[in-house]
Amino acid sequence: MDAILQKESLGRWIAKLQERGEVYAPEFVEDAWEFTKVERGASVELDHTNTVLPAKGFVFPQREVLYRFRIENGKTPELTDTELSVKPMVVFGVRPCDGRATVRNDRVFTCGVSDPYYQARRDSVVFIGLACNAPPSPNCFCVAVGGSPCSEDGLDVLMTDLDGRYHVKALTDKGRDVVNAASDLFQAATAADRNEVSNAQVAALEYPQRSISAMDLVVAALKRNFESPLWDQLARTCIGCGACTYLCPTCHCFDINDEVTSKSPLTGARVRTWDNCQFPDFTMHSSGHNPREDTGARLRQRICHKLLYFVETHNMQQCTGCGRCITHCPVGIDIVRIANVMEEGVWQ
Amino acid sequence: MNGNAYLPQLARIIHIKEEVPGARAIKTFRVEFMNGGGFDHEPGQCAMISVFGKGESMISIASAPTITDYKQFSIMRSGRVTTAIHDMKVGDVIGVRGPYGNRFPVGDWKGRNLVFIGGGCGLAPIWPVIQTAVANRSDFGRITVFYGGRTSRDIMYAAELEKLRGEADVYLSIDSPEDGWDGYCGFVPANVMDKPQNPHNAIAITCGPPIMIKFVINNLREMGFADEQIYTTIENKMKCGIGKCGRCNVGKDYVCVKGPVYSWAQLKSLPQEY
Ligand SMILES: Cc1cc2nc3c(=O)[nH]c(=O)nc-3n(C[C@H](O)[C@H](O)[C@H](O)COP(=O)(O)OP(=O)(O)OC[C@H]3O[C@@H](n4cnc5c(N)ncnc54)[C@H](O)[C@@H]3O)c2cc1C
Ligand code: SF4
Ligand code: SF4
Ligand code: FES
Repeated sequence: MDAILQKESLGRWIAKLQERGEVYAPEFVEDAWEFTKVERGASVELDHTNTVLPAKGFVFPQREVLYRFRIENGKTPELTDTELSVKPMVVFGVRPCDGRATVRNDRVFTCGVSDPYYQARRDSVVFIGLACNAPPSPNCFCVAVGGSPCSEDGLDVLMTDLDGRYHVKALTDKGRDVVNAASDLFQAATAADRNEVSNAQVAALEYPQRSISAMDLVVAALKRNFESPLWDQLARTCIGCGACTYLCPTCHCFDINDEVTSKSPLTGARVRTWDNCQFPDFTMHSSGHNPREDTGARLRQRICHKLLYFVETHNMQQCTGCGRCITHCPVGIDIVRIANVMEEGVWQ
Repeated sequence: MNGNAYLPQLARIIHIKEEVPGARAIKTFRVEFMNGGGFDHEPGQCAMISVFGKGESMISIASAPTITDYKQFSIMRSGRVTTAIHDMKVGDVIGVRGPYGNRFPVGDWKGRNLVFIGGGCGLAPIWPVIQTAVANRSDFGRITVFYGGRTSRDIMYAAELEKLRGEADVYLSIDSPEDGWDGYCGFVPANVMDKPQNPHNAIAITCGPPIMIKFVINNLREMGFADEQIYTTIENKMKCGIGKCGRCNVGKDYVCVKGPVYSWAQLKSLPQEY
């Protein structure tokens, strides 16, 4: 199902959706684009490149209470499960790389034993994507990892900016539902509109992006170079800050801890928070033994997880080419460069 | 498994035995599920133990799968959670969720000779396998158990090991000589080397500190054991137990799901990150 929305009607569509739940959209706050909650009546302009934090937090929050516990002195513990019904949420302006990240996060959280917290959010959150038909950011490389600036994967709706109006394509039931909620605002898409969308998609692919010279050979190259001294050389400047993984739309590692709010009666919550394979204690046993002792081993883990292990398990890279880990690394460690270095086997 | 995989069941401690004293003490806890809860397990599987207010730890289920009244865990005091459970008493309530991980393929080993090699706390994960083999004694050939601790006070399951002598050859060791010790003096891998095992029709199962496992495997291979005849378990740090938190991977495997039991043939094909 596709339709046309005049740009001046975007605010009315958002207002309509706010009657049913919260709406989020990218906003330039201080010096960075962030997804923020749209206040009623506020105007939204979808002219961001990409947000600093990815959209993953809507389905996998940075901090989440799993359940609460309460133990009266000497009594049996009482556990209270977190209410798993999530209020409806619509997120505008999700870039296709973050949409494709959702497909990967679904693999992690819903295959095998399903994660009920992720699943509840995933069922309630609507991702409205926005195709990238303007020049990309300097570190974008979605095409190199099998994506495209107009990919529909993992999104509920894909919007394409056509000068003065949006082409709006609903891709899932959730997506059709949010379009139908304001059907009077949309006009039917014509053959000419669709033609314009195809042209925009072709044009989008013509903007140069960063490239990985032989992506199909990277799997073999990473296997071949597992013990290579290249890893230590590449990681020598890494300060272990973890920005690369916190900002990554597909990084899903988490820690589980107890937060105590009162000692007597003992009350508190079991909480999960994003965690990070670039930290030494991520893998360190309490005996002090650490299977990944240095920054080289930890960088290798991050890159191999993205470009080797996930491919072996799920037949797709766990990197969607958003470029955040490159842009925000304080010392310039660069996954595209590493992939090329691994294939070539040298680094100068 | 249905419902919320992160939510533990409540279990009451019904028995505590002090196995080993000292800074890295080991205690064995028997727990009984409350409110009609519980689950079945296979030898080699683990469970997440909760001490509310402190956190969770992955611990091997050390009781035989046939025991349904209680589950047993032998826990070394090493950090926040394990210290908290060491401070608990009979009647206290913990959380237990599981079972997690794969199992030792004991059913495939019928008719074989079994050689168990454990060190330190590493007797706990293989104990249910020993129990299963002994309970079906006629299904197996010779059963041999090597086990060592740093000193004679570090030998866990001492009484149970004595009882086992009727069913199995038991060779105990301590690192250095002590008055009154009539077993072997030296490290576990050396004790195994001292009593060479015939690899023919045998399966070796080893569990203990990573460094011990490494030497034991070298020695077994020197005796002619093939990679497929050697089994071990690995203990990567774990948080979720269900392949989500990304903590425990070795290469593409999440050990909490694909492990912790591996044959050396399988483990050799994975990166050495354990
Ligand atoms: C498959 C498996 C089976 C195990 N079986 C046993 C057993 O039968 N008996 C026993 O005493 N110990 C066992 N361990 C080790 C035990 O899990 C750790 O010693 C324990 O988690 C340490 O927790 P802590 O809070 O006391 O230590 P801290 O150092 O305070 O650890 C904090 C957190 O780190 C994690 N952690 C630290 N060390 C380890 C480790 N070695 N392995 C896994 N997670 C760790 C835990 O999530 C823990 O909550 C096993 C580990 C695994 C992975
Ligand atoms: S952002 Fe850069 S410096 Fe920080 S942990 Fe990642 S690679 Fe290392
Ligand atoms: S690895 Fe880097 S480029 Fe790839 S998805 Fe994650 S943050 Fe984006
Ligand atoms: S413990 Fe979480 S993935 Fe294995």
